[in-house]
Amino acid sequence: MALTFKGGLHPEENKITAASPIEVMPEPGTVAIAMSQHIGAPCIPIVKKGDYVYKGQKIGEGQSGLTCPVHASVSGTVSGIEDRVGAFGQKVTHVIIENDFKSELHPDIKPNETPIEEASFEDIVNTIKEAGIAGLGGATFPTHFKISSAKGKVDGLIINCCECEPYITANHRLMLEKASDIINGIKLVMKALDINKCDIGIEDNKKDAIKVMREHTENEYGINIKVLKTKYPQGDERQLIYAIDKVQIPAGKLPADVGRVVLNAETTASIWKAYKYGIPLVDRIITVTGNCVANPKNLIVPLGTSVTDIINHCGGFTSEVEKIISGGPMMGTAQWDENAPVIKGTASILCFAKKKKASIAETCIHCGKCVGSCPMHLMPIYLASFAKLGDWESCRDFDVMSCVECGCCTYQCPGNVPIVQYIRTAKGKLKK
Amino acid sequence: MGLLKVSASPHIRHEDTTRVLMSDVIIAMIPLLIWGAYIFGLRVLTVTAVSVAACVIFEALFNLILKKKIPVGDMSAVVSGMLLAFNLPAGIPLWIPVVGAFFAMIIVKGLFGGLGKNFMNPVLAARVFLFGSWPAHMTAYTEPLVRLPAFGALPEMAPDAVSSATTLTVLKEGALPGDNIFDMFIGNMKGCIGEISALLILAGGLYLLVRRVITWHISASFIATVAILTFIFAPEGISNLDYMLAEICSGGLMLGAVFMATDYVTSPVTAKGRLIYGVGCGALTVFIRFLGGYPEGVSFAIIIMNLFVWYLDKATKPTKFGGGKANAKA
Repeated sequence: MALTFKGGLHPEENKITAASPIEVMPEPGTVAIAMSQHIGAPCIPIVKKGDYVYKGQKIGEGQSGLTCPVHASVSGTVSGIEDRVGAFGQKVTHVIIENDFKSELHPDIKPNETPIEEASFEDIVNTIKEAGIAGLGGATFPTHFKISSAKGKVDGLIINCCECEPYITANHRLMLEKASDIINGIKLVMKALDINKCDIGIEDNKKDAIKVMREHTENEYGINIKVLKTKYPQGDERQLIYAIDKVQIPAGKLPADVGRVVLNAETTASIWKAYKYGIPLVDRIITVTGNCVANPKNLIVPLGTSVTDIINHCGGFTSEVEKIISGGPMMGTAQWDENAPVIKGTASILCFAKKKKASIAETCIHCGKCVGSCPMHLMPIYLASFAKLGDWESCRDFDVMSCVECGCCTYQCPGNVPIVQYIRTAKGKLKK
Repeated sequence: MGLLKVSASPHIRHEDTTRVLMSDVIIAMIPLLIWGAYIFGLRVLTVTAVSVAACVIFEALFNLILKKKIPVGDMSAVVSGMLLAFNLPAGIPLWIPVVGAFFAMIIVKGLFGGLGKNFMNPVLAARVFLFGSWPAHMTAYTEPLVRLPAFGALPEMAPDAVSSATTLTVLKEGALPGDNIFDMFIGNMKGCIGEISALLILAGGLYLLVRRVITWHISASFIATVAILTFIFAPEGISNLDYMLAEICSGGLMLGAVFMATDYVTSPVTAKGRLIYGVGCGALTVFIRFLGGYPEGVSFAIIIMNLFVWYLDKATKPTKFGGGKANAKA
């Protein structure tokens, strides 16, 4: 029996790129590197207009605390530093680099011959920090911070290979094509945290990936494959830990409080690349998909490549596009600007065509489907009603702050009520 | 490229809108309509058509007068119209479903804010209203297979072709009805248009379960409660099992448990709440059937339980993820 959690739902998978091998996209003429690609303090540019930069050279650094440096993803000349609209609609400083197409790596980037067994905690965490690695599943929490704060508190690592959002197949392909990068990354993190237990959670709709990962972990002591029922939002770390360990993270706490640290599959693979080859996080795998892209693909793209360049590489649109989403259809962010660059958290670019659909009036019929599908065991129906009335205190009493905004309630709602939006409003009001 | 549409996640929706769910309920009720027409004649279709038309027109008129968007597209008025007809005897004068539709759609549903806002099941409230106002019409049940014509004056009926005595009246006297239990189960008996066939109602319920329109909690706990109580409290000298089976196949229990008590608007949203609600409906039904003034108690039981829905929802609020006692220590 596949492991699972209570609540959630199974939207149509639409994993149309599941069988498409990962392609490397040719470098674009210009890239725009956002100075804020992670949760925490934004970076300050440390290059100026006219500077020559190598591929992999650090070009932005945070001041202090929770932050994560950014690097040039191509070699070339800095043609400008300007404020542009970022992936989340806010103004972000971008460093614009004109590509010289030489792909000249920074001279400090050298392979590392130290075996994993001899790596020290400081070495590993410092490598992760200097490589600018942040959670690539979309949350973009700086990884070095996660690992150093977990040190001594956790006894198990969990690798999130669920990819529960419809359409996205980047992790699926990564497991099929680069399983050993993931496994080596796991070993590094296990070494850093001095633990000997790691569970890899994979949903049971990726049978081929389960097989490949099993083959790669057969002789690895302590690393186990956990097969999970295909259900959204299995990739939420709370539900993932619950499905595997049957432990609920107490409200307001972190995985470390139940002795676990959770890393995304691609994040783990980039840790290995940073350690072994010294290459910082300058590119990532994204799934370019949707119902109006000519050739949907899984692509490795340099960070900072614009959505337009990527779509053109995929053959353009087959019909008029209405929405471009960074991330999955359930939790992704609709983009303002088709020239927005890819950032560390962009797991996919999802394009939806214009559709003829009569809008349905917003009417709650009290069916309770939202209650049944809420993975946080809340009552979205009443949260939305209270929020509609401006009754924020009742929202608090009904645990609105525990909502993870996974969107199950809204997806299910037959009455077309934008439940998550009401909940976001209430959370915003209560946070003030 | 034109302007991009920017909206909040989620960006996809399940295709089951209110209209789809209501259409599923209608599909589940069609066999009952056909069976009713087979047993009581084509007049069943006339009564249903009048009732549906009246419900749709009253709802549309009400919204027109209030200058609101006319919500006929959600199909809920059609469901109400069918259910109202299903709760009437086949020989009912045709003005009665019209009055019932007015009461259901305007007094109970419209005045409280329309779909989703009414605190009581409109159809059952209308049924109780009609029952209290015109009891003779409401209990003039046609004998099975005495088929009434679709239009025109009803034929002069033999005294035994129409009567108010049903299996429930016999059961209330503490005796078993003469009807064969198999006939009662498939629905070859006296009663209202849509309530007679336990078999087809259960089949419709199964369809709704498979289509995930309803969950099993309310119907199962409702029927099980009636079954257990009537089994335990069967009158002396009668087989407990026979008595129980006759009770659950009689009157509006099956229709009530599967199609009426599960009405979204007037039932709880949590699994636990639904179980308690179903048990409450069952217990009140048996209470009224055994001790009340009427032979049937399903309608009363459900509308009484309707009043507790908010309290049941609140009392059965699930413990949030990570909020349990076991977690408090962690």
